[in-house]
Amino acid sequence: MKLFQKKHASLEDEGKASAWLMLLPSIFLLVITSVYPFIWLFRYICYDYNGYTAYFTGAHNFYHMLSDGIFWGSVVHTFEYAGLKLIFIIPVSFLLAALLSQKILGSSLFRAIYFMPTVISTAVYSLIFGFIFAVFNGSLNSILSLMGLIHSPVDWLGNPKIVMISIIIVALWGGLGNYMILFISGMGSISTDVYESSKIDGANGIQTFFHITLPMLSPVIKVILMLAITTAFKDYESILVLTNGGPNNRSQVMFTYIYQLIFSSNVTPQIGYATMLSVVAALIIGVVTVAYLILARKLDDVM
Amino acid sequence: MNRSHVIYSKGTKTARIFIFLLLLIIAAIMVYPVVYIVLGSFKENMELLQGGANPIPTHFVFQNYVQAWKQANFAVYTQNSVLIALGVMVLTLFCTSMAGYVFDRKKFRGKEFVYNLFIAFMFVNVGSIALRPMFELAVKVHMNQSLVSIILIATGTGQAMYIFLVRGFMSSIPKEVDEAAKIDGCSFFGIYWHIVFPMLKPILATVALLSFRGGWSEYIMPLVFTMSNDALRPLTVGVVMLKNSGNGAAAWNIMFAGATISIIPIIIVYTFTSKHFMEGMTSGAVKG
Repeated sequence: MKLFQKKHASLEDEGKASAWLMLLPSIFLLVITSVYPFIWLFRYICYDYNGYTAYFTGAHNFYHMLSDGIFWGSVVHTFEYAGLKLIFIIPVSFLLAALLSQKILGSSLFRAIYFMPTVISTAVYSLIFGFIFAVFNGSLNSILSLMGLIHSPVDWLGNPKIVMISIIIVALWGGLGNYMILFISGMGSISTDVYESSKIDGANGIQTFFHITLPMLSPVIKVILMLAITTAFKDYESILVLTNGGPNNRSQVMFTYIYQLIFSSNVTPQIGYATMLSVVAALIIGVVTVAYLILARKLDDVM
Repeated sequence: MNRSHVIYSKGTKTARIFIFLLLLIIAAIMVYPVVYIVLGSFKENMELLQGGANPIPTHFVFQNYVQAWKQANFAVYTQNSVLIALGVMVLTLFCTSMAGYVFDRKKFRGKEFVYNLFIAFMFVNVGSIALRPMFELAVKVHMNQSLVSIILIATGTGQAMYIFLVRGFMSSIPKEVDEAAKIDGCSFFGIYWHIVFPMLKPILATVALLSFRGGWSEYIMPLVFTMSNDALRPLTVGVVMLKNSGNGAAAWNIMFAGATISIIPIIIVYTFTSKHFMEGMTSGAVKG
């Protein structure tokens, strides 16, 4: 009996060791791709670092940030981009989800088509939109002038007044299907009994929508909104390909600016300064997220 | 995903037709860029540079692909993309199936801490700055000249969601199954290898699809890692690079062919597995 217990205990220990061993590959990757870069971030925050040599400059990076017009412009543009994207993408994807949850001819085909951009690389579809938006040989201007909607070519990506709208169009095209699918899966979890009884009570489509679908979905909507907000504030890959922050920094968001400070080949890398801005950018996104969570809870109390 | 009557409407016929037309128009907008680039890749460069609203080539030429493949190095880019995507897929399956199994089945000190660390770093995103220390690290260990570093990093930044998915699926497999194997003398790893792994197949299929797509689509990270090394670039980087190179305007046909090469394989995979893709995305996001 004792022998058995001993054997059992050693088996448990062996199990523990192999459990850690089996976790090791994932932990190793987590450390090199997340933990280490995160700690590294604070190493150069007070340094002027160009990739080869680093000088301690105290609070200089911080003061530089305070007076850096391009950075604060990029903060404003980040909010502008995220706000515009959310205002359009959430209602439209929600509406599409509501429509496609019904028995409509071809609804699963429509779902598959709307979701398709999600599988294409952001960089590549942004490149394609770059061709479509091209001033003289782009197809969008040709189509619009054929329809008689414009008389002279529009500079979609070069006109500072329009560039943000063009970027939002691409973001909508790329993200719509994703949020639609999330809403559909949330809607699928509402039991059909509820709808049956509202039908019996004589509620019409719009009444059902506002009095049943919306309230019953609110926990799901909250999670999706949270996801949408954090994603919108972090987006920059598409902008990098479409405009690289131009024209004249008009479409510069925080992360495109930081990217250019570190990796742009035209200027000396300002890595120390970029770490400072990255920390501030992460803080800004953190504050927005917390503000949203508080607001969501307040709305809960009201509703 | 069951159909529910989210908006129950008595649906007059005109309203239904109107909705259907609306959906059709949106569908046309969604497929337009893909159709535009695929058909455009068969146009002559002259025709592309003249532009116009007609997406159909006046005569089909295959020359762009030949040129892209031979002169513009797309054979190498395609090979790199395939290697990265497959590498990320295999490594992700290897790491996350084990991690998901351990997190669900084993009790030991520090487990929840480690798990929460994975989840926390899903939300902490400091942007491209994180690529700099990884790049310096790769240079230090002489791995900046190989695709391995790109595969490792792409796997590492994407794995948390997949671990979460596998753990969730794991918890739906009854514990009696591994209890029985344990009594038969199977070790902890043996249970994973002989019993659990085969049972994980449905979720691993989803993980395989999503991680393959992730590796195939990766852009900024491989861009940074191949800044000075054309031979390691995947399609995404190679084709966008052409746009920024000096003769960008003259290379529209090559870029069209390159972009098509980059999107067609994944769209073909998607047409056969769209349900898997959609379910994978929702279980990863909403249930979290």
